[in-house]
Amino acid sequence: MRGLGNRNALRCWGLLLVSCVTAARADDAASRDFFEARVRPVLIEHCYPCHSTEAAKAKGGLRLDDREAARAGGDSGPAVAPGLPDESLLILAVEQGADAEVEPMPPKGKLPEAAIADLRRWIEQGAFDPRDASEPGSVEAAKGGWALRPIEPPAVPELDGADRGRARNPIDAFLLDRLRREGLSPSDEADRRTLIRRATFDLIGLPPLPEEIAAFLADPAADAYERLVDRLLASPHYGERWARRWMDLAHFAETHGHDQDRIRPNAWPYRDYLIDSFNRDKPYARFVREQVAADALYPDEPELTPALGFLAAGPWDESSLRDIREDSLDRQVGHYLDRDDMVATVMSTFVSSTVHCARCHDHKFDPISQAEYYGLQAVFAGVGRADRTYDPDPEVHRLRRELTERRKALASGDPELLASLQGDAIQAEVAAWAAELRGPRIPWSPLISPELKAEAGTSLTIQPDRSILAEGPSPAEQTYTITARTDLVGITAFRLELLPDERLPSGGPGRNANGNLHLTDVEVFQASSAAPDDWRPAPIARAASDYDQPGWGIAGAVDGDTKTAWGIHPEVGKPHEGVFEFREDVGGAGGGVRLRFVLRQTYPAGHAIGRFRISVASAPRPARVGSLPGPIVALLEIPPERRTPEQRRELGAIHLAEYLDRRIAALPPARSVYAAASQFTPDGSHKPVAEPRPVFVLKRGDIRNPGAPAVPGALGCVAGLESRFDLPKESDRRIALAKWLSEEANPLTWRSIVNRAWQAHFGRGLVDTPNDFGRMGAAPTHPELLDWLAWTFREGGGSLKSLDRLIVTSAAYRQASRHDAGKAAVDGDNRLLWRMNRTRLDAESIRDAVLAVAGRLDATMGGPSIRHFTLGPGVHVTPTVEYASYDWDAPGAGRRSVYRFLFRTLPDPFMDVFDAADASQLTPARNASVTPLQALALLNDPFLIRQSEHLARRVDGLAADARARVAVAFDLVLGRPPESDEAGAWAEYLASHGTANFCRMLLNTSEFLFVD
Amino acid sequence: MQGRISRRDWLWRLGGGFGGLALADLIGRADASGPDRPRMDLDGGLHHRAKARRVLQIFLNGGMSQMDTFDRKPELDRLHGEPFDPGEHVEGVTSTPGRLMKSPFAFRRHGESGRWVSEVFPHLATRVDDMAFLMAVTSRTNVHGPASYLMNTGFLAPGFPCLGAWVSYGLGALGDDLPTFVVLPDPKGLPYNAKGNFSAGFLPMAHQGTTINAAAPEPIPDLFPPGSARWPSAEAEREGLLRLAAMNRRHAEANPGDSRLESRIAAYELAARMQLSAPEALELAGETDATRRLYGLDEPATADFGRRCLLARRLLERGVRFVQVWSGAGGPKDNWDNHTDIPNELPPIARSIDRPTAALLVDLKARGLLDDTLIVCSTEFGRMPFTQGATGRDHNGGTSVTWLAGAGVKGGVAHGESDPWSWKAAAGATTGYDLHATILHLLGIDHERLTVRHDGIDRRLTDVHGHVIREILA
Repeated sequence: MRGLGNRNALRCWGLLLVSCVTAARADDAASRDFFEARVRPVLIEHCYPCHSTEAAKAKGGLRLDDREAARAGGDSGPAVAPGLPDESLLILAVEQGADAEVEPMPPKGKLPEAAIADLRRWIEQGAFDPRDASEPGSVEAAKGGWALRPIEPPAVPELDGADRGRARNPIDAFLLDRLRREGLSPSDEADRRTLIRRATFDLIGLPPLPEEIAAFLADPAADAYERLVDRLLASPHYGERWARRWMDLAHFAETHGHDQDRIRPNAWPYRDYLIDSFNRDKPYARFVREQVAADALYPDEPELTPALGFLAAGPWDESSLRDIREDSLDRQVGHYLDRDDMVATVMSTFVSSTVHCARCHDHKFDPISQAEYYGLQAVFAGVGRADRTYDPDPEVHRLRRELTERRKALASGDPELLASLQGDAIQAEVAAWAAELRGPRIPWSPLISPELKAEAGTSLTIQPDRSILAEGPSPAEQTYTITARTDLVGITAFRLELLPDERLPSGGPGRNANGNLHLTDVEVFQASSAAPDDWRPAPIARAASDYDQPGWGIAGAVDGDTKTAWGIHPEVGKPHEGVFEFREDVGGAGGGVRLRFVLRQTYPAGHAIGRFRISVASAPRPARVGSLPGPIVALLEIPPERRTPEQRRELGAIHLAEYLDRRIAALPPARSVYAAASQFTPDGSHKPVAEPRPVFVLKRGDIRNPGAPAVPGALGCVAGLESRFDLPKESDRRIALAKWLSEEANPLTWRSIVNRAWQAHFGRGLVDTPNDFGRMGAAPTHPELLDWLAWTFREGGGSLKSLDRLIVTSAAYRQASRHDAGKAAVDGDNRLLWRMNRTRLDAESIRDAVLAVAGRLDATMGGPSIRHFTLGPGVHVTPTVEYASYDWDAPGAGRRSVYRFLFRTLPDPFMDVFDAADASQLTPARNASVTPLQALALLNDPFLIRQSEHLARRVDGLAADARARVAVAFDLVLGRPPESDEAGAWAEYLASHGTANFCRMLLNTSEFLFVD
Repeated sequence: MQGRISRRDWLWRLGGGFGGLALADLIGRADASGPDRPRMDLDGGLHHRAKARRVLQIFLNGGMSQMDTFDRKPELDRLHGEPFDPGEHVEGVTSTPGRLMKSPFAFRRHGESGRWVSEVFPHLATRVDDMAFLMAVTSRTNVHGPASYLMNTGFLAPGFPCLGAWVSYGLGALGDDLPTFVVLPDPKGLPYNAKGNFSAGFLPMAHQGTTINAAAPEPIPDLFPPGSARWPSAEAEREGLLRLAAMNRRHAEANPGDSRLESRIAAYELAARMQLSAPEALELAGETDATRRLYGLDEPATADFGRRCLLARRLLERGVRFVQVWSGAGGPKDNWDNHTDIPNELPPIARSIDRPTAALLVDLKARGLLDDTLIVCSTEFGRMPFTQGATGRDHNGGTSVTWLAGAGVKGGVAHGESDPWSWKAAAGATTGYDLHATILHLLGIDHERLTVRHDGIDRRLTDVHGHVIREILA
């Protein structure tokens, strides 16, 4: 039996092989396209739910998810009879009523007429069907697209005589070989003016300076061009150029999007991370891994944390994920959609896969199952988008981690740590500490007759003990301004006492219902009696307190961060104090000084101070907190030799806590970046989860119809890589995906990135669909070249600069862009690169080039983004954003466009009109449209008008007469001297209408806007 | 209608003027493999005869309460104040479900069709015989962001082209001196999702809605140089543009075979025409007093919305293909998002559109424009039959009301029905996809065939859904 079975199996295989071969012969592209576009989607959508291996039980014994099963049919007979639609049960069923014997399908309603006609036509024409019975299911059928094949280094084509001299590197060999086969020839090398303008815009996104052009034209060396390229690759502007391209892929913006389009003040460090990574030429595999799992893979390199901004770069639906009820279905939908954005961003960017098409059903065209799609969602089920803090300095990072861990161990009563506290060494420290605490008392002088100011009608009154009591209305955000004169000389510190009072809620000292307060920020200003209104800052060096609410230390009141503050909960109803030491002595000799204390209580809202007293002192540094809680004082009063072990331990613990808190408070403030985070400060019901949320395979993508739990993983169609990461821990899942994405054996990764580089330089990729290497995407025009580049790039360690250099030093890149009617007749689209492509400058390059030629470019790098708008309060959460009223001479207005603030639902109209990326979606390639609105923007936008004035002033300063001014302007704007008739005509114009009008027109020329 | 050939149709047919390719660039359709082109023999439709040439869409931001306007529910009168127990799980998306609440407004039958309309729409009520009502429009979400996207773009997530952008992409402009797709937002503020609702998504930027803020000093940005700059005089500009054109022409001639360079020259000519046409279109001074009164310009409560409706009519008359007029700013106040107090919040916002909207129906009819202009009034979702707080209503994706009028639409009909509480659709349920499919259908477009390949999928406005609602078609 067994033998027979095997023989049968062999026979089946034999038959199948034959039929596959036959099918392959008949497999003309048209039939395949027709099947994929018109037939398979209908079958998947309308038939598979009941008639496939995935249906719980194939109804009527019929499966329509592979060719042989469909032809064999079910209980009623063959469903598909090639060439014979009227004998195919499939047709009779969907035509509903054509044959009364046949049960109408689908049961819920008739298919659209067009779909029925398509099915009929498909069967009439032979029912071409690529779905292989050996791999049942829609998913497996499409296995083996070009992009999934392992990368083998293809042989570089041999060229004959003339071409051998023409080729500058193997890129040219591949291109020339193909051109010759099509009977085409390449174009001559472009002239040097064209080359330097092309390479400069391409590699750094700016125009070449006139002196750079002159030097390049005059350079006699054979490798002048190569040295030009090397100079550009070494420029810090190189990283800015690539970063902007990458921001398109990540759909990076600095607001949430959706109906509550809130600003993300800490999104920008991701942009700086990108610029820095490209400038350092970080190995690509490493670059990929960092953006998916820097925190988990490189815990000792905290400066990489901003890389995780990639996962959070896209939109976030604050209403769905923070504001609506947590138990609602819409909240669940929100989580799925949020992860969908992460999955789509990661898989589109790194592996050019349209995995997001498998959300409602298996991918219709690529071998990606719905289960795999949800497996990818599961990878991100433990992270949220939020501000996460980090210490860029690894040493600080290490220290903070150590100190915090010890503090936690102390708080949780770690027995080992507690035992060590009784040791002599610690007790000696305690003795020294006690001595210090018992030192001379600091003579604090309370402020006398201060002027008091508060917001929103709150009344501040001076009490008999010189404390100040707040009463009356208490707005959500409060600021007290206390001004007083003192004759004290050499003031080193001031003390803020927070005092309980029975008139305050919960006995105070705060005005919050629970007695708490939050001092967000304190600033002091000083003015001499001689110039009482000349207020100068009196910077605070450090602060100490008798008690810090966990997570709300006093350092938060002096760090300038509006999201940190000092609080005292739960130690309410008791006095507390903070001592603030000035950086330099305040108060000169004689005459006295006026001091102004600004106490901001703005965050968290509703936490104003109830009663307080401010005093100053000229005690020697370090200033320290004067009072200690009673029990500690009592313990310290017991002579050391008479203390019990418990008392020794308690004192040791108090001392250690104080020591650790002081050390932590003294660390430089942590930074924040908006990124994917598994731990973050909760914002309402947007909060971290202890373990990843469960993710289910949603049938038809419907939240009401969850199937099996998803197993974290990647795509099984990439051969040789482990694609299931059944790992419980959130960080382990991201590590596994980061590795899967960056493996040498993942052919998608390497093909994807070299194609992007090619697109950057030639304006179009070898694959025209850079985010889709699947079957609905374009096929590569030069598959061997793509593989050779991918292989070379990967073997060379993933250096993007080397890849860029290789591409832009090829003869192909250096060709002229001139049109040729004969060649255009063969390859009108220039897919074979018989000439260079002419490109329209992208939005950022236009703006940066205008600034550069006008002499207004500010080359400062990094830091918070420049807002090219005035911000106003909106009706609801989204603010109003006014671009037209921006002052183009404001500080930072000349910074490069990569540093402009990106508002998701309110983008800059000037940039928009030039096809800047819409950060609501992934933008693998920009459009380069030409529209009347662009003409209006270039003519009339306040930016252009102002820069025309600047350019005019510059030109007027460089040359005296009209003709010379025209020449200078041409040189700056177009990088060439004017023809003599041009010079004459424009000089005449300039003479009668002024330089600014001339400059405005010059900035509107096609020559300026296009790069040859 | 058949005799009217738009300039654009003509250019495509003859390849004349600026050159067919150049124009194709300018309207963002340079791709030779793009969708079908409008056909004269189909009255400008792509796939079948078009009934409508242009669309005016009114969008009520925040979710109009259907049982307080058009969906009368005697059952709510009977059960007022009772707990809501329909026998299945009840969920309020932002609140705990309260008790059932009857409409505080009186309903009356109107017109020959006898439609019930509440007292908040006294003027609109007189036009019910022109209107076709969808009484059970459902939404897949109860949250503003996704819901606004869904009803404008067909997707819950941002990044997809909206209806107006698709129409612009599919049909282009009727004239060439005004934008194809214009949005007139509420001057009090942009809607939920702000400009995300008017986005061209992955379609060329030229199809994005051009926002005209009629109340602003510069209704269309960059139409003219900023007033602060004195030096770009008219004469300098006229003469400069001539020289610029000459220089750009020389550049185009030196670089043949590149239609974009031709397009740039044409773009400046079109821009100049827009400079002439747009101010004329925006200027309402030429309208008669009777017209101004009809639209409610004489009354503070209706003046703003009336002005924008009148402006919309002028734009449509002058060749704009799609105008979207928004009512309500994105937020809980001055909006249709009445979470707190239906009796006091709904009447003022309803009043602000009542007279102007009725005026549109009257005025367009009188001018013969209603024969080939489609008017649609839609919203994000409906509201709940039970209270939120004391007298508010929470979001309800279960059912809502949309109405249409004009080209190709039957007047005085209603399709669909909600359940006795107006909680969920009970019969004839329709979706935003169906509405979009129907609008495209009336424009001569098969919604399944207007597609663009993006990121691995042939995307369309209706995703994988949508049925033409034939019950309301004339």
